[in-house]
Amino acid sequence: MDAMIQLIHVSKWYDRRPALSDVMIEIEKGEFVLLMGPSGSGKSTILRMLIGEEQPDEGQLFVQGKNVTKLKRSEIPYLRRKVGSVFQDFRLLPKKSVFDNVALPLIVQGVSEKDIRRKVTEALRAVGVEHKRDQSPSSLSTGEQQRACIARAIVNGPVVLLADEPTGNLDPELTGEIIELFKLINARGTTVVVATHNHHVMRQVNCRVISLMQGVVLPERAMPERVGV
Amino acid sequence: MRRLFYLVREAWANMRTNRMTTIVAILTTAFTLTCVGIFLLIYVNLQHAAGWLQEDVKIMVYLEDRLSRDGRLQLELMLKSDHMVGSVLYISKEQALTEFRTQFPADSHLLEGLGENPLPASFVVTLAQNSRSPEAIKEWVEQVQTMGGVAKVDYNQQWISLLAELIGYIELAALGVGALLSAAAVTIIGNTIRLALFARREEIEILRSIGATGTFIRVPYFLEGAVLGACGSALSLGILKVGFELFRQQVQFVSRFSELEGLISFFPLSACLALVLAGTALGFTGSVVSLLRVGEGRV
Repeated sequence: MDAMIQLIHVSKWYDRRPALSDVMIEIEKGEFVLLMGPSGSGKSTILRMLIGEEQPDEGQLFVQGKNVTKLKRSEIPYLRRKVGSVFQDFRLLPKKSVFDNVALPLIVQGVSEKDIRRKVTEALRAVGVEHKRDQSPSSLSTGEQQRACIARAIVNGPVVLLADEPTGNLDPELTGEIIELFKLINARGTTVVVATHNHHVMRQVNCRVISLMQGVVLPERAMPERVGV
Repeated sequence: MRRLFYLVREAWANMRTNRMTTIVAILTTAFTLTCVGIFLLIYVNLQHAAGWLQEDVKIMVYLEDRLSRDGRLQLELMLKSDHMVGSVLYISKEQALTEFRTQFPADSHLLEGLGENPLPASFVVTLAQNSRSPEAIKEWVEQVQTMGGVAKVDYNQQWISLLAELIGYIELAALGVGALLSAAAVTIIGNTIRLALFARREEIEILRSIGATGTFIRVPYFLEGAVLGACGSALSLGILKVGFELFRQQVQFVSRFSELEGLISFFPLSACLALVLAGTALGFTGSVVSLLRVGEGRV
């Protein structure tokens, strides 16, 4: 199996307080992984490091074989184009339609008009909000907004999908729907990493769980099988 | 294509969102560039006038009253044979008096009481095209001054020197005021861009997270700065043109200055385009300065 994500002896401090201590993680291509832990355990720090938003104080991170800690600033946008991000607060642009929001990663990459139409339509259909394409995000329910956010994250076919507390603003029913969506995306071959403190999520996914506590990785729980691949 | 359309649309959206700030930025830029433009307009016209005066250098060689007719003819022959001289025109004492009465009808009574015509005869000498440099004129005048029968030599070079000095001062003032006001325009546009950046910081964060490069994020703000500068400079040209036409109308009404009307002119088209380009560059610089100051260079 190829490693899609590797964290090797990664440590990070904020004001002399350790956020991550000697973290060693390896996630394989096509895996579905839950990063579990309470607030402040270091889950979000790991995700931010994986898209080059933060740098570790010690150690190295690899995404698809590329050393993220060695990337030049000008190379970071190209890493982010391979790694889709889903946020708890959706981060949709309120003045743009759902279609335009989802099209944004493709516009940024200079994809042709025809391909943008096709790919955005496919992504919206995949997450089930195609009928809301011309509406503004504010007119969507929270579940639909998160679906639109996921469509934006997968529209350019990323190799990895990172989700930071994607169900934090959703009720248990919607949480189930969003997790099902992640399973579908994972089944198509995309490596999915979901950071959450919600134990209901763990019950809904049969996958590897990496538990963090105060910046330290706890011994992994043995799960019977992985989703996808 | 869609990317370009997106960037232009974003720049337009920025300006629309901060409409009031945009209008204030354009107006203040226009005002500052108008101030610079006034100096430039005066400078250009004075330089034009200096060139025109230089072309029209006429030297008055006044003759002594006791000079005989033969002596005058001999002097005229000497002047005409000089390679530095282009043309020589003789003005007799009577002609000088008639001309004085024509030019100054209200003051002609001043000469009545004197009885005898006090005005001297003279030669009006126009120097050859290649002998009109200030040094050549001065040398020639000093040489003629020593000739027998010559009472005095007068020419308008002093005015030209004075004008050249004045132009020098205006040039300095235009440069100083221009630099100062350009810095003001850059600051004003820079602040407008910074406000736009602040208003859209969340959007910038989202763009970063989906892989937008620094250039992609910055281009709409560069465009906005350039458009503000271009609009400000175009407006300042409009204000200058209106002001210039009003001034020209006033000149037309005052008969004493009516000849001046043909001498003054507005900026040629090329200069107008250069001014708009300069405004655009100022606006662009404003946005670059602003983006650098808020650290928008990072991805």
